[in-house]
Parts: sequence; C-alpha cells; structure tokens
Amino acid sequence: MSVRKTAVLALFATLSLAIFAVESAIPPLVPIPGIKLGLANIVTLILLRRFSVRDALLVLISRILLSAFLFGQALSLLYSLAGGLCSLCVMAAVMGLLQKKLLFLTGAMGGLTHNLGQLAVAFAVTRTGGVIAYLPFLVLSGILTGLFTGLCAAFAGKLLPPVPSDVS
Amino acid sequence: MKKNSSRRKPAAIITAFLLLLSAASILCLLSGKSGNDYAADIFQDGILIKSIRLNDFSQTGTFTVQGKNGCVNEIEVRHGSIAVISADCPDKLCVHQGFISDSKLPITCLPNRLVIRLRPVSDSPQTPAAPDGVTY
Repeated sequence: MSVRKTAVLALFATLSLAIFAVESAIPPLVPIPGIKLGLANIVTLILLRRFSVRDALLVLISRILLSAFLFGQALSLLYSLAGGLCSLCVMAAVMGLLQKKLLFLTGAMGGLTHNLGQLAVAFAVTRTGGVIAYLPFLVLSGILTGLFTGLCAAFAGKLLPPVPSDVS
Repeated sequence: MKKNSSRRKPAAIITAFLLLLSAASILCLLSGKSGNDYAADIFQDGILIKSIRLNDFSQTGTFTVQGKNGCVNEIEVRHGSIAVISADCPDKLCVHQGFISDSKLPITCLPNRLVIRLRPVSDSPQTPAAPDGVTY
C-alpha cells in the first residue's frame, strides 16, 4: 500500500471516529438498547463504493479499536465488532449485486445486519432467549437508520472529489 | 433502466425482503401479549432474585439491588407497574425507560447485569433478557 493511500485511509478512519464521537454525545432518543443512527456507517459505505472491501475493513477495524480504547467498555468492543463485521460482509455482497447503485438499499441491509449481529452477541453474552423481545425493534430501527445513512452516503459521495489514480 | 436490468432483479428482491421484514416486525409489536395481572421477575446475572406480584401493591414501595461490582439499582414498585428509579451506571437507560406495566419490553441494565421482566401471573418465571445501551 502506498504512503499516499495509507494517509487517505487514515483520514477516513479519523473522519469516522469523529462522526462516531459526535454521535455518542447525542443522548439516546428511545430507551431501547441498540437503537442509534450509526452515522459512522456513512464512511464505510463511501469506502466500499469508492475503494475496496479490504480498505473498508481496515478503516472499520481501526475505528472500532480506537473508539473502544478511547471511550469504550470492554463489552462494547465485542458488540461493535460483531455488528460492524456482519454489516460489512453483507453490504459488500449487496453492493456488488446492485453494481454500486441504490446505496440506500445497501445501507438498509447493513443497518439490519449490524443490529442482528449485535443481538446475536447479546444472546451469547446473556445466554438467554429473552433478547428476542428486542428483535422487532432492532429490525425496524436497523432498516430505517440504514436507509438514512445510505442516503447520506449517496449525497456525500457526490460531493467528494474523485479518487486520484495513484490512490485507488 | 433497461440496460440496468442485471441489477433490477436483486434490487427488487432486496426491497421486498426489507419490506416483508418490516411488516413482520410491526405485526409482532402490535400483537404483543396483553393482560393486566402481572408479576415482575427481577434477575441478576441470569438468576431470579425476586418475584413480585404487581397488583398486590396498593402503595408505593422501593428497594435497592446491589450488583457484584458494587453497582446499585433502586427499584420502585407501584400498583400494576415497576421501574428502576435510580442507577449508578453511566447511561441510565433503565431509568429513562420509566415505569413498565406490560410484558412487551423488559427493563435491562447490562452494566449492573439486572433484568426486570413482567409476565402474566398465570405463566411460570422464565429466562431473563438482554443488554443495556452497549451498542457502538
């Protein structure tokens, strides 16, 4: 990887960390764990579209590790990783199917699988079936917030300058 | 859009899938169990530590539950409802949830590993539930 590309990806990682930090400062609107906008997903979507799955994965992992070290509890790392990796895999597949168009659909699938991944970890941590009570809420909120971040990524992507040829 | 037909089919399938899931979730939420004679089961670390029949309370009562790490939740019981009224965890999602009086969502506080779940008195106590605000 060229120095220039490393620098560009590092900038994206910083950006998503900043977005994440700002979002953490917003008090939860709904008293249900797991419901949040997931704005940092915008960066993942842009990277998936403009760069590659590998680059998006690098930035995602950096962001999750950094945020866990900076503001996290031990458990939050596990939840972030499960949600982030699930949604990244699915978004990569869906983005391929849709030929990088209709970003909001990719976002919705990403939001949905992010929440499902976290719910699976919650199930593993608590080892009880009771977490299923959250399933309908998390499915709905995942789809809706995913649509939103997908639209954000589509608009933001239009405003970004094209990737220089020596970076991509 | 003709030239894009290779992506129209997946797009349609994904849209249908998402709509179906949303509809199913909404149905699930609307068709929650109803009834009005509830018992509150209080779990800590997955173990039932207290079970209270809510309709037996005609006055307000409070008590505290202490966790292993020294975390404390203060719980208030009223006729027909129950709430965590104070907690020393950082986000206090359980407190913000307020009083619950039906079985749709349990009150959970993962930092203190506490779950309060309502069940119709006719059912037997069952498994507790989930985490509290640990999604990053």
